[in-house]
Amino acid sequence: MKQLSVGALLLALIAWPVSAQTPAAARPAVPRTSDGKPDLNGVWQALTTADWDLQDHAARLGVPAGQGVVEGGEIPYKPAALAQKQENFKKRATADPEAKCFLLGVPRTMYAPYPFQIVQSPAYIAIFSEYAHTTRSVFMNSEHPPGPITWFMGDSRGRWEGDTLVVDVKYFTDQTWLDRAGDFHGEDLHVVERYTLVTPDHIQYEATLEDPQVFTRPWKINLVLYRRKERNVRVLEYECYAYAEEEQARRGELGPK
Amino acid sequence: MPRVQKKGTVMSNQPFPVSVAPAVAIALASLLVSVQVAGQDAARGAGPRRPPVAGCPSVSRDFFPCAKVKAAAFKPPRNPDGTPNMNGAWNPSTANGSQNIEDYPGDQFLGAQVSLIVDPPDGKVPYLPQYANKRQDNWDHYIDPLGTCYVTGVPRQVFAPRGIAIIQAPNVFAFVGEFAHQYRAIPTDNSPHIGNSIRLFMGDSRGHWEGNTLVVDTTNLNDLTWLSISGHFHSDALHVTERFTLVDADTILYETTLVDPKVFRQPWTMAMPLVRFEKGHEVWEEPCFESDHDLPIMLQDHKIWLGLDPPQ
Repeated sequence: MKQLSVGALLLALIAWPVSAQTPAAARPAVPRTSDGKPDLNGVWQALTTADWDLQDHAARLGVPAGQGVVEGGEIPYKPAALAQKQENFKKRATADPEAKCFLLGVPRTMYAPYPFQIVQSPAYIAIFSEYAHTTRSVFMNSEHPPGPITWFMGDSRGRWEGDTLVVDVKYFTDQTWLDRAGDFHGEDLHVVERYTLVTPDHIQYEATLEDPQVFTRPWKINLVLYRRKERNVRVLEYECYAYAEEEQARRGELGPK
Repeated sequence: MPRVQKKGTVMSNQPFPVSVAPAVAIALASLLVSVQVAGQDAARGAGPRRPPVAGCPSVSRDFFPCAKVKAAAFKPPRNPDGTPNMNGAWNPSTANGSQNIEDYPGDQFLGAQVSLIVDPPDGKVPYLPQYANKRQDNWDHYIDPLGTCYVTGVPRQVFAPRGIAIIQAPNVFAFVGEFAHQYRAIPTDNSPHIGNSIRLFMGDSRGHWEGNTLVVDTTNLNDLTWLSISGHFHSDALHVTERFTLVDADTILYETTLVDPKVFRQPWTMAMPLVRFEKGHEVWEEPCFESDHDLPIMLQDHKIWLGLDPPQ
């Protein structure tokens, strides 16, 4: 109760700008940085099953059932791309970039079943995932460099629209997938992410995906990122490919004959 | 994108599946040139010659005492929370991509190096007698873990190829290293280290401020990383202390002391300048492993490093 009342007092003392959609009275107080932005610092993790399959799916061995995160339910593939997705699904055990320990790309890194830490400064917001020491650098209020460039994690440029962090990401490879079910994209993928701190411990995460080579129209996913609240919690390491090579080397399968 | 290979300096690894931006190509070319120039100077017996940094000689043994004096008098710019502001992109320019950390004349494989070690005064890593020849054995028989795209470990993160970005938030001091995209997010909130049985490539780092100096204490390290391309190594008993102090607006004095009773006779310390990159420099993504096509070639005559006690 004490914390709540201090938060309410702070809110009353300082008239923060509020977005048009939500009346100020209905908005829970969220922590703010010294420059007045919502404070996204902390360790976060998605709890959806989106990494197994972005769309509605029943359980199967090793896969928890889940309700999809795609607005409207279906990913609007072009016919040839839908055939490719189905082919990917058949080969997913080995063809999924995650099975090869590759970087997962964007937005998949944000809903993969690993925690990530956000470190927020006014000019530079870093996102550090436990999976394969993935880093995302979100450079604020700046332009994408001139292309052509392709990156596994794309090039991220951020800006604040009111209380929402909007991140524009492009310059991708075609080597990452969107989930373990074979959903995919091409090099022309363009992602716009929107991070809104709706309570001190929840980020509403929305991403719009556009790729005219693969999809018939832009489409959206929508999910919640939860703050990890355990005492002294930190992002640890899942050094996927290092463990794989170490295993092989210990078995004598890697190295001079 | 550039890769550090066994028996090589920083070099271009062509199979990376991208069209590299001209800026990256230029940056890479300039890095290679600087390494080569350093080698030429050293061949004349003078060691790499570099311009002064922050008004101090750039080589570690001279930079260290000079920078200490200057740092004590400098009033650093501050973040809103009062901590010295070190946000930005930083270049460990005298470390030559962590090819070597001791004096080295340079040869066809590695560039010249003036020792980064300021204590002990002989500039050499104080290995226990049983490990006197281990570095050479590593060089001869093992692949630098960076060459297999493993993360750098600590403290090598700070002086690995291509530089680091520092991002500061209240109670967090973070590094992004461009080489193989590694990071550290260091709590500065007096929180305790994690349990001793959790071993990490990047360890568990906890920081605190002593005046204008960030002091970082790192434990929980594994023994799967090296300290240089040339094969300097440590065990899983390594305990690292690092100190970051602004000398002027564009220079950090970086000091790191390594304690590892399994491998070293005594604690030893490296010191070097971190120089701010030109305005607008961004530390970018390097998906090292994803484009690693040279491992099979390296494995023809070198082994994966599995720590000090590999399976026989």
